[in-house]
Amino acid sequence: MTSDTRLRLTLLGGYLGSGKTTWLRHQLHVGAFGPRVHVVVNEAAETPVDDALLAGAEGMTLLAGGCCCCAGRAELIAALRRLCDARSRISAEEARLERIVLETSGLADPGAIVAAIQDDPVLVNHIVVEETVVAVDALHALAQLATEPLGRRQVGAADRMVLTKTDACAPDALATLRATLAGLNGHATLSAAVLGVEAVLAPLPAGARPAVLPELAGEDARGPIAPTQLALPDDLDWSAFTLWLSALLHARGDDLVRVKGVLRTPAGRLLLQTVRKVVQSPEILPEQGESRSDNVIVFIGRGYRPEDLGRSMRRFLSPTRTT
Amino acid sequence: MCNACGNPAAPGHWTEAGAATPGDRLRARFHRAKVLDDILRPYGLMAHDGGVVPGIQLGTMAGASSIVHNLSEVWAEAERLHGAPIDPLDPRYLDDL
Repeated sequence: MTSDTRLRLTLLGGYLGSGKTTWLRHQLHVGAFGPRVHVVVNEAAETPVDDALLAGAEGMTLLAGGCCCCAGRAELIAALRRLCDARSRISAEEARLERIVLETSGLADPGAIVAAIQDDPVLVNHIVVEETVVAVDALHALAQLATEPLGRRQVGAADRMVLTKTDACAPDALATLRATLAGLNGHATLSAAVLGVEAVLAPLPAGARPAVLPELAGEDARGPIAPTQLALPDDLDWSAFTLWLSALLHARGDDLVRVKGVLRTPAGRLLLQTVRKVVQSPEILPEQGESRSDNVIVFIGRGYRPEDLGRSMRRFLSPTRTT
Repeated sequence: MCNACGNPAAPGHWTEAGAATPGDRLRARFHRAKVLDDILRPYGLMAHDGGVVPGIQLGTMAGASSIVHNLSEVWAEAERLHGAPIDPLDPRYLDDL
């Protein structure tokens, strides 16, 4: 695990006009992604890209053949393979590409892109999807979340949410949005940025209530997406647990938007996360003493009763032995 | 590509994380096959992993059998052999406590 030399990939998503490019440009300017970074930009419609964007990156690829989570998927895979190929020709001791930042189009579902990379037999050996950053427009996100299933999927797939345009947003509207986002995706970290520059977020006021999001016609009768926390026993049988989770993802993967948690295993603390049916390679985390968040798994999904998850898991962990 | 079996090499399946030594890996395979077998028996399926051939062997009581490489494939193949998805949240499965 420590000698993992695969390329790191940061996925940058967010709704149309949510400030992805602005944020990325500033991050490249201050070198937040390190010196050897290649930027892949996907535009749903072909547009020229600012030269300023190029300044902080080692190279840039523009994919203009449609949204890379659906129509432009083949083009994305081909572009990533070319990057991996060029990198593989350089010895690991020399300076070579270390990170790719993929800025998706505003119409892309980050979950589908992670799935496409993990499904590709070449890319899965060369690329680790490290983080999904989603830009959330502080002015318009509530309206988008209320009407667009895509907006909710993007928020659900995030590891890190960046609230943009917070300077132009009324404090109480911002508080409502933050409470709503916490309800949709409680495990993602939340920060704020104005024109890409990190802004300070005041502590969430105690009285902040999440907005009531209507059920969407595009969604179905399986109910709203809700988070469920599941505490695992201390003496967890890892094999039985993986059997259960893989069975659950196979049967219910389309309903489980996200599963994330830190498990204590014989090998150490293991960070486990999935997007839909795709499980990212588990990472061993450094020891941090007794952490409260260990052995708790968060399930974000719908179409099941929350208490059934725990019952089902306990059933798998101790099946009735018929001998 | 593995010369013996023709399976393309892939980074370890996520369910195999945590076993560092060859001995641990083999023990984990035996244990996993035992637990899987216990789970699949009520569905009329069997699972076996002898530790020699790569993969997990699945079979039905009628004798049909196949070899799968990892747990994602186990559930797809079990669904095929059983004729219906094996759903851990199936009320019939849960109520049978």
